[in-house]
Amino acid sequence: MRNLFLKTLYDKRAFIVGWGLGLGFLGYLMTIFYPAFHQDSSLDQLIRSLPPALQGLVGNLNDLNTLPTYLGSQLFNIRIPIFISVLSILLSVGLTVGEESAGLMRTLVGLPLSRTRILMSKWWAIVTICLIATMLTAVGIECGLLAIHETLDIMVLLRLSGMMWLLAVALATIIFGIGLATGRRGLTTGLGVLIAVGSFLLTTFSVSVDWLASYEKLSILHYFPAADIAQGVFDPLDLIVYGALVIVFLVGGWLFFCRRDIR
Amino acid sequence: MNTDAIVTVHDLTKHYDGVAAIEAVSFSIHKGEVVGFVGLNGAGKSTTINLMLGFLRATRGTVTLFGRTVLPETAHTTHRRIGFTSGDMSLFTNLTGSQYLRFVAGRFGMRDNTRLGELSAMFDPQLNKKIGDLSRGNKQKIALIAAFMASPELVILDEPSSGLDPLMQQTFVNLIRQESQKGTTIFMSSHYLNEVLDVCSRILLIQNGQLIKDIPSDALLTGGGKAVRLVSRYEIQPPSDAQEVTRLEHPQGFEVSFVYRASAAKLQQWLGGIPQLIDLSITDHTVEEAFDDLYALETKGQKHA
Repeated sequence: MRNLFLKTLYDKRAFIVGWGLGLGFLGYLMTIFYPAFHQDSSLDQLIRSLPPALQGLVGNLNDLNTLPTYLGSQLFNIRIPIFISVLSILLSVGLTVGEESAGLMRTLVGLPLSRTRILMSKWWAIVTICLIATMLTAVGIECGLLAIHETLDIMVLLRLSGMMWLLAVALATIIFGIGLATGRRGLTTGLGVLIAVGSFLLTTFSVSVDWLASYEKLSILHYFPAADIAQGVFDPLDLIVYGALVIVFLVGGWLFFCRRDIR
Repeated sequence: MNTDAIVTVHDLTKHYDGVAAIEAVSFSIHKGEVVGFVGLNGAGKSTTINLMLGFLRATRGTVTLFGRTVLPETAHTTHRRIGFTSGDMSLFTNLTGSQYLRFVAGRFGMRDNTRLGELSAMFDPQLNKKIGDLSRGNKQKIALIAAFMASPELVILDEPSSGLDPLMQQTFVNLIRQESQKGTTIFMSSHYLNEVLDVCSRILLIQNGQLIKDIPSDALLTGGGKAVRLVSRYEIQPPSDAQEVTRLEHPQGFEVSFVYRASAAKLQQWLGGIPQLIDLSITDHTVEEAFDDLYALETKGQKHA
């Protein structure tokens, strides 16, 4: 444990195991539920009877017909963003303002470690943790597929998992950048929740609420159209947007973090 | 500005929301000096130390360590030559003591663990337990070992022995003496006056964010003197060498108290000439009282100014 990156992963080992297994189990459960969603017509009728405003929360009914679109719509479009949002907020707040308010950032800055290296080590740890969580989700899906004797094109799973990872990294980096730039726990957590919950509500309700549709591009989830990706539609612009968000918030966080007071 | 100094603090000022935490603090420290930094709570000791280490950005003024100006973005370049700990230092609670020390050793690029072994033998810390499960004193032992184990040229300590039991405080004092003999430069703030006087050759006194004294510790040690209080039926003129004289009326006559730092024989001779002495007490004027006097004099001086 001679470097900060490994120390951070070691510190977060319980978090990694807990979230990795949790997301893996979620992937497994959602996959083994597919036959029920696919075959049960009464479920279709129940969903169709919901008011239009709530249908965005349960996804497009036509997407339940095939396994890739079912997973894209029900797992990656609805449930994963919720869990990824919570994971990103907890992880980024913990590694930035959480450590600073506990006095640990001061301990690190007092060592022969540049602030840039502290920032990059922690960010790589976030990227790695998000990757582990994504991979275990994919493993959970594969286990589910084995259980229901179904198969899924590996490229579809890779694309969905890759975008899930990018979403997690982008959201976590936004909160990470805010945390390092400000050092304020309340502000960072508040903005993190606002971005995550706001994006979720904007994307889900814009399906039914007309005037929200024009603002939907502001949602971070707009760039993760999982149902489309599951059908093989892939827009490189989504990658660019997530990449740009990561760069902007990482550089912004770095500029402020290197120069500000550490309490 | 002294170019031979390892530490040069010049006109250092830090404001928080327009309120000065420290104002125009200037001093320098030379190689091998052991300097105590003393002041009441909130006097500005920790702010000064945090600025010296680049945790904070100065509102005005500069800190120069080893000839380099300390700024938050570049402070790490001097940290390889500095050991630091504070009484309220947070350690990573998920790690064991030995894991933490290995992590710190890695940052200093340490290859030789001899000094770590010596310090561990000296403080006897619980290295195999998680830091989160340790008492405050045991955490402080680990923080002290981490500060000294890379044999830094300069050690900056902020209330370093708070939380240590008396036995460990003595071990700490011995360690400072040992390091001082090796030529390590040490800058330490402390609430324990005797500890500071035991090990420091020079004392900086800070009050309300301003450096008010920079004196050799000998001046305080030898300047303790005797506190004399006597009551007589008649008004008494204290000896010409008396300091900090207080005169009061007393039900049985007059009371006078003073601090006497001249020879005991002269005091004895003066006492022999007191008519109708009713009460007399002569006690050691403690170093703590000497400090209190110093504070009181400075506060009075500031008010008059």
